[in-house]
Amino acid sequence: MADVLQVHDLSVDYQLATGAVHAARNVSFTIAAGERVGFVGESGSGKTTVALALLGMLRHPGRVVGGSAQLEGTELIGLPRAAHAQLRLSRIAYVPQGAMNSLNPVQTVRRSIADGLADHGQPLAGTTLTERVALLLQQVGLTPEVADRFPHELSGGMKQRVCIAIAISLSPRLILADEPTSALDVVTQRQVMETFGDIRARLGSALMLIGHDFGLMAQTVDRLVVMKDGRIVETGEVRDVLRRPEHPYTRDLIASVPTLGERRSGGTLASTDERSPVIHLAGAGRTYGAGLRRPGVMALRPLDLALGGEPRILSVVGQSGSGKTTLGDIVLGFVDPTAGAALYRGQPIASLRGAARQAYRRDVQAVFQDPYSAFNPFYRVDRALAQPLLKLGIVRTRSEATARMQAACAEVGLDPDRVLGRFAHQLSGGQRQRLMVARALMLRPRVLVADEPVSMVDASLRFAILDALRTLRDRHDVTVLYVTHDLATAYRVSDHVMVLHSGAVVEEGTAEAVLREPAHAYTQLLVDSIPWPDPDRAWGGSALRSDNGSSPQTKTGR
Amino acid sequence: MILSRLLRRLPMLLAVVVTAATLNFALPKLAPKNPVETKLLEMAEQGGSLTDISGLIRSYEERFGLDQPVIVQYFSYLKGLATFDLGYSLAFYPTRVADLILKALPWTIGLLLTSTLIAFVIGLLFGALIAWNRAPRLARVIAPGVMALAALPYYLLGLALTYVFAFIWQIFPLGGGYSLMALPSWSWAFALDVFYHSLLPALSIVLASIGTWALTTRGLMVTVQGEDYMVYAEANGLSERRRFLHYGLRNVMLPQVTALALHLGHIAAGAVLVERVFNYPGVGMLLFRAIEQSDYFVIYGVVYIVVLMIAIAMLIVDLIYPLLDPRIRAEARQ
Repeated sequence: MADVLQVHDLSVDYQLATGAVHAARNVSFTIAAGERVGFVGESGSGKTTVALALLGMLRHPGRVVGGSAQLEGTELIGLPRAAHAQLRLSRIAYVPQGAMNSLNPVQTVRRSIADGLADHGQPLAGTTLTERVALLLQQVGLTPEVADRFPHELSGGMKQRVCIAIAISLSPRLILADEPTSALDVVTQRQVMETFGDIRARLGSALMLIGHDFGLMAQTVDRLVVMKDGRIVETGEVRDVLRRPEHPYTRDLIASVPTLGERRSGGTLASTDERSPVIHLAGAGRTYGAGLRRPGVMALRPLDLALGGEPRILSVVGQSGSGKTTLGDIVLGFVDPTAGAALYRGQPIASLRGAARQAYRRDVQAVFQDPYSAFNPFYRVDRALAQPLLKLGIVRTRSEATARMQAACAEVGLDPDRVLGRFAHQLSGGQRQRLMVARALMLRPRVLVADEPVSMVDASLRFAILDALRTLRDRHDVTVLYVTHDLATAYRVSDHVMVLHSGAVVEEGTAEAVLREPAHAYTQLLVDSIPWPDPDRAWGGSALRSDNGSSPQTKTGR
Repeated sequence: MILSRLLRRLPMLLAVVVTAATLNFALPKLAPKNPVETKLLEMAEQGGSLTDISGLIRSYEERFGLDQPVIVQYFSYLKGLATFDLGYSLAFYPTRVADLILKALPWTIGLLLTSTLIAFVIGLLFGALIAWNRAPRLARVIAPGVMALAALPYYLLGLALTYVFAFIWQIFPLGGGYSLMALPSWSWAFALDVFYHSLLPALSIVLASIGTWALTTRGLMVTVQGEDYMVYAEANGLSERRRFLHYGLRNVMLPQVTALALHLGHIAAGAVLVERVFNYPGVGMLLFRAIEQSDYFVIYGVVYIVVLMIAIAMLIVDLIYPLLDPRIRAEARQ
């Protein structure tokens, strides 16, 4: 089979004041017609840099310093801007990571598709355009009505499929998808990846899939390219790489994929005596947007939940819009329940004042999804850590605070000398997220709400952070409410699992019972949607296409 | 849909206007001095012929209804406003304030509406252009000059323009709304004369406000260029022109239209100093004279008109914004 893309010795530098950063070094690979090639590596490994170089979209100070890249005989490196822009979409199409915000908010889907056609020599209008758009939408599993919708009227999965529809609008030879599903939940992820599969079967386009999830790769690509520090460290058939990884880095990456297979036995619990719960939700539920004549949207149906005793680590799993974040927000006192009550040591959370409120704020801590926006960029991270200690009167002096901070950093596996005294932008995402855990830990909380704490950090760091949560449970008698759409990590970390669907608890029990032998059809669907890092294991059962034309779902998390 | 939105906004508009009118009524009452007395004393000082001042005050107060209880005054004031009766000018008694304002308003709106809209369009385009990654070199070169103009007040620019174009080169008139010889009429010759007279004041306003619009637009455009949809549009190989106009500028426009509407509300007061410099017969000139002559009722009248215009401008923005932003449209539908 002829090669669609031949990349030879491609090197990209970022020329900074402090010297050149070699973002990609002597990268060579080929992609055959219709082949699906996965690029994996942690953030900063150079996979996105390679993609940008192919698209001719490297931003200053990034620059190709050597090598070549040929797309069916056309040399991409050094191609004039206008010529490169003409190639994009028509011969090499791009599917973005952040489909959430990738569509122009003031245009309908029809206009967005038409724009791409018009600027590549196919200015269509009227019924010709309507028919073309309907055909494209149908190919990605969307109904023709979607054409007249605006981006804010679409769910995340639908937007991602609209982006795929745009990508295939000129039948490109190569589709370049950069983490196209990392913002989607497992069920939607499977639907979107199936769409990619259909497209390939129909058009024969090659796929360059960038990602970090070996499970997803195993289910969707033919060949894997593993990158580290700008270099390709290993490449081969996906089966071979997964079965017999040669490079130690590949082995590490594969080992860090959470599955429902093995499970570390839980440590001994610090104390099991029955005490009154710290947080008690008594029939608490939440309805949004209810008016005099409108019933509103039931985000969370009334449920009972006690935190602060057994079980120690409780996972709440479900798709976006299932109400899991609302549950976390009620526990944190960010929203008040519209039904029932949320009690802190017997008192409604909303009515807490003065010392009781301080005690609540100290006892109930949170770790959020996005470690990048959790720190004030103008202060050193010490400030974020020391402030609650001093504010809540836990320590009196700066030196006491410093001692506490150092101890807490050590406990989450950070070297205090390397992170304290620095600004947030000088730290990696994983370091920041561990600092957030450390910050919560220093206050010796009784309850910790962790809302998708690892969805934005590299796979290899996920375990370190999740293990820090387990350490908290074992050493400090903390109850953790782990909110996630990732069942595999929930399975690994939690004692008890609660499955939410459309605001209602459909199943709960021990992690083994719920996830290994799911009783409810919805849990079954979630479990089936987990991509296993094993190409011979079929991905899920029946294909589900429930997302078509449904009402827009709430966006993922914070 | 527009009609139901209009009906829903109307009570709010009414509340704003009534509140403003009430403040306009109450504030002078709180002042220690009575405007009639002040005016008469002033006249007495100048002319020296008035003898029975307190008697005169009483008779004036009777005529203006100032001897009535405050609450009665208030309601008759509100009633007056509803029928656009803003009382009488003290300086040009018995000319009605409403007539003075109505005579001046077309001049001001004609001059300021046109020049503000021109400045808005040029400023928006120019500001977006200098923020654009691959801006034409010309835009980059003249950018500092335009920004410097933003720092100049209208009237200074007006003075400079008058000096150069009207005094030294004498290609434009020194001031006024029309030639002394011309008789106001609906004829082409008169319209041309008005246009000719408005060019210099309009130019000074346009030049001085382009910079402000350009500066704010530039900031917004920098932010919009960092949005995912801009990167995605580039990745799809969309043309530079389309990305600039339909993706960049189109999204920048949304907050700027709100700013424009607020700005337009204020033009009813005229550009006081520009009109003064060019001796232009607009509301700004009227206000300037009224302040000079302590003509309180004219001042109140102008302030009231300004409030009314801002409220109406906001209403118009509320009504057209959904046409610009589909996200607001969705909310409005609910």
